[in-house]
Amino acid sequence: MFETLINILSALVSNMHYLTAMLLFLIGFHTMLTHSNLIKKIIGMNIMETSVFLFFISIGYVHNASAPILDDRVAAYVNPLPSALILTGIVVAVSLTAFSLAMVVMLYKHYGTICSDQIMRLREEEQ
Amino acid sequence: MNGEFYNYLPLWATLLPVLATIPLFFIERRSPMFRDFFAIAVSGLTFLTVAIMYPYIAAHGTIGVSYPQVFPPFGISFQVDLLGYLLALIASAVWFLATLYSRVYMQHEGGGNRFYPFLLLSLGGCIGVFTASDFFSLFVFFELMSLSAYVLVVHEETEAAMAAGYKYLILTLIGGLALFFGIVIAYELAGNVDIRPGHFLFTEHTRLAFVAFLSFLVGFGMKMGIFPMHVWLPDAHPVAPSPASALLSGIMLKTGAYGLLRVVFNIYGADFIQEAGWHIILLVLATITIFLGSAVAIAQPDIKRRLAYSSIGQMGYILLGIGLLTVTGLQGGIFHIFSHAVMKSTLFFAAGAIIYKTGKRRVAEMKGIGYQLPVTLACFSIASFAMIGIPPLNGFISKLLLSMGSLDAGMPFFVVLLIVSSLMNGIYYLPIVINAYFGAKPDEEKMGGWRRLFTELKPSMLIPICLLALACLIFGLFPGNFPLKWAEIIATMLIGGG
Amino acid sequence: MTHLPIIVVALYLATAFALPLLGRVKKLHTGYFSLCIATAGLVMSLLTLFYVAREGTFSYFPGDWPPPVGIELSVDWVTVLMHLTINLIGLLVLFYCIEDLSSEVRPGHETWYYTLFFLLMASLNALAMAFDMFTVFVFTEICTLAACALVAIKPKALCVEAAFKYLILSTLGSGMLLLGTSLVYMVTGHLNMGLIGQLLPQAIDLYPLNILIALGLFIIGLGIKSALFPLHTWLPDAHSSAPTPSSALLSGLVVKLFIIVVGRIIFQVFGSELFLMIPIPEVILLFATFGIFAGSLMAIAQTDIKRMLAYSSVAQVCYIYMGMALVSQTGIQGGLLHVFNHAVMKSLLFLAAGAFIYKTGIRKIEDLVGIGYRMPLTMAAFSVGALSMVGIPGFSGFISKLTLAFGALEAESPFFVVVIIISSLLNAVYYLPIVLRGFFGRPATEFQWDKLPLLIIAPVLALAVINIFFGIFPGSLQELARLAAETWLP
Repeated sequence: MFETLINILSALVSNMHYLTAMLLFLIGFHTMLTHSNLIKKIIGMNIMETSVFLFFISIGYVHNASAPILDDRVAAYVNPLPSALILTGIVVAVSLTAFSLAMVVMLYKHYGTICSDQIMRLREEEQ
Repeated sequence: MNGEFYNYLPLWATLLPVLATIPLFFIERRSPMFRDFFAIAVSGLTFLTVAIMYPYIAAHGTIGVSYPQVFPPFGISFQVDLLGYLLALIASAVWFLATLYSRVYMQHEGGGNRFYPFLLLSLGGCIGVFTASDFFSLFVFFELMSLSAYVLVVHEETEAAMAAGYKYLILTLIGGLALFFGIVIAYELAGNVDIRPGHFLFTEHTRLAFVAFLSFLVGFGMKMGIFPMHVWLPDAHPVAPSPASALLSGIMLKTGAYGLLRVVFNIYGADFIQEAGWHIILLVLATITIFLGSAVAIAQPDIKRRLAYSSIGQMGYILLGIGLLTVTGLQGGIFHIFSHAVMKSTLFFAAGAIIYKTGKRRVAEMKGIGYQLPVTLACFSIASFAMIGIPPLNGFISKLLLSMGSLDAGMPFFVVLLIVSSLMNGIYYLPIVINAYFGAKPDEEKMGGWRRLFTELKPSMLIPICLLALACLIFGLFPGNFPLKWAEIIATMLIGGG
Repeated sequence: MTHLPIIVVALYLATAFALPLLGRVKKLHTGYFSLCIATAGLVMSLLTLFYVAREGTFSYFPGDWPPPVGIELSVDWVTVLMHLTINLIGLLVLFYCIEDLSSEVRPGHETWYYTLFFLLMASLNALAMAFDMFTVFVFTEICTLAACALVAIKPKALCVEAAFKYLILSTLGSGMLLLGTSLVYMVTGHLNMGLIGQLLPQAIDLYPLNILIALGLFIIGLGIKSALFPLHTWLPDAHSSAPTPSSALLSGLVVKLFIIVVGRIIFQVFGSELFLMIPIPEVILLFATFGIFAGSLMAIAQTDIKRMLAYSSVAQVCYIYMGMALVSQTGIQGGLLHVFNHAVMKSLLFLAAGAFIYKTGIRKIEDLVGIGYRMPLTMAAFSVGALSMVGIPGFSGFISKLTLAFGALEAESPFFVVVIIISSLLNAVYYLPIVLRGFFGRPATEFQWDKLPLLIIAPVLALAVINIFFGIFPGSLQELARLAAETWLP
């Protein structure tokens, strides 16, 4: 009984990175969908993306292995592929953020607010 | 399929009116008169094309071609046997007369530029239905005809016409989709949907086969106007211009009857239906339809509406003929398809002439109209008597055959039904005739002597009415006439399953 | 010849970046230049079609690095069909752009529009053949960005807001896609779809949870992007407020490509056996059925013509999903046929509706009375699209519905035939009144030909002709879709 608890706990600790990534994903997800502030939505979007990056990179992590630089003295390398891919992912995320921020600026110029509820109300008034 | 000329006749009879709409579209912008003549010529030519098929059909039994590359996996194919030929012949003949009749009639309605192309399109669709050799081709032409007919229904574009048209359109679509369902099931189960003698698509009494039967019944029954799918008919037929009403009631309803004939005798086979007991459904529906159509017609003050309800009742006879599953009954049903086409077109043409000449639509207003339009009313009376089933007119023969068929099937109840409904027909047709001749004192001035006897209408309107009324008389007087004989051949062939 | 598919992508990407320069150097006719490029793209995809027909399908490895190291692009029949659809519709929409854009975007922004257009086209072409999860992710993001920008380019706050909503939800979808990819990568150690597919049957015993979650994430993520009901909430706003050519592209092409990706993941990564083991097909069928009805019912309630068309897309997308979830070859064939046919129909309808707006400024359906007399050709083309949507024989929409119905019967679920039939009727209820209003109901006003610029009327008519042609002679297209379906479900 006690032993199984220990096992579960140790499994949790050793999979910390996955858990954190999932937690961050949910936080980001929640922020994106529930907050009416557009900037907060974008922040949520970034948190969510970062959590996926964390998850992906941690897959490639090998305990006690070195960075993937060819060297005779090193026995094990960290898997370089996820890191390489996530670089692309980060670029994509940055451009998405930039684009969405630009749209928020346009919306703010027109409506004078960045609250999506207010924008909806203003839009209905316009129509 | 060999490439001989006559095999292409069904294809041309179908395509000619459809393709003719293209030159018509350009002609009608130049001269309305030329447009009218062109339309008449095309429908006349279609009639001739159908007519000259006869020697080949008599010699070969069936003629046709198929084009599998169009609409795979079904293909479009044409094949005419005697049943299809009989109906195509009467359809193209009545269509030709209707086009002739429209020339003058549509001048007072206006909008001929839209009317004629769709008249021809629906002619093409209608001939296509009768000449198709598989259910898919039939379905395609059925839809072409039904959708083109929508334009004819809403021609006047009044509020009532639009409402009736919308009802018609939606119910037509429902019917078309039901048909589609049936065809898909048939194709999936049998691998083809051909109409060939002795080739039954369903051989087992499965639930799916029953579902398909019901879909076909809904699909064709919708067009036929049998209870409870008749709701569009009494609205749509009266609002259309009279030549279109004549075609809708006289011919287009028959495409539904034709389809149902093919379903019952070519897809399932008489034995199959008899075993499954599904003909009971048809008989029950026929009974209700006959009663409903006749009873409601009595209460209609508008002449065209009355005629429309009468059509429902008459379609009930045809359904009865199909449902009896006896040779005599079927012969009566098929002959009634033919004779109802003739009678109802006469009646609608005559009613149209009355409306055209006097503007009166209500039966009560038509007192003494027989003096104003003597020939028209004479024709109307002949057709009414035929409808009631007074010998020696053609309506009598079909009722006689139907009664004999019911006795053959051991269901004397239907003889009573036929007699009662004839009585009801009398109740709603005779007042019109009586009113017209005896409702008012003879007005000598309006009559104008015998010299003006045939000048009451322009000849292009009067000739179709007279010809059709004459047909009612001829096909009743001479029981050896060709539709009756053919109906017997067809009925024997269909019941015999081959 | 094997380089052609990737040359199309590269050409489009290069054009996208060259166009702004070109527009700056000289007020060149960037539109006509774009037309040349798009025509070249269409020609190349046709050549690919002939090549594949002659030599068979092939895989392309950029830089000759085979997987697992390199990227794989699969040029199979699905790819060929999709390339043809994308480049054909893209070219016709581009024709329409040249005259229409000046009324839709700020002056001087036309060049930027073409840039975005080519970015979108490049990403769509790449998505159609990507056989690598990460390539899919990258091009998904490019596609999302370009698509959102194509909505937001119209100088109206409404469009920007719709685009923002679209972007946020799309990003959510891509996040899920990437997370699913990483879960699969964690289990199999591969990103290549083929290699994952080989390893999954063993991996499912060891890590069933990972794989199930990954499949769920893929379907939800891509479901958001392809507007699978009930994840469609962004679509009506984005598609209706966008400039007309963008609406046509978004509804006609963009959502379809994500369905293709879902199809690849379901059938080429997970495989139909694995897919059938878990009740996901049933769930998709359920959503698709609801979506077909809900989309149609909401379309009936709309008063704005473009909004109605957008809701109709929600329903039509569900047909394609239904075809795939039936997991019968004919069903998939019907779904893929509907990808093409719906692309043609919907872009036709959007462009025709755009032409009404261009000429008369009318967006409300009830104001379109008598438009058939003022713009007969456009209205005739619109009617072709509408009748095709309803599924009248003779128009291409009928063929895909027919094939879907056969697929449903092949999967032994006649219920879905009934669904198709009822939804056809619902389509009739909202499409036909527009046609009827256009031609009937009011005393005929003076008839006149539609005085529209040639470049607006020509693509509309071309699409109508394509629709009728493939409605009457669908043989070649059906064969292509059948071959494509065989790739997924042999």
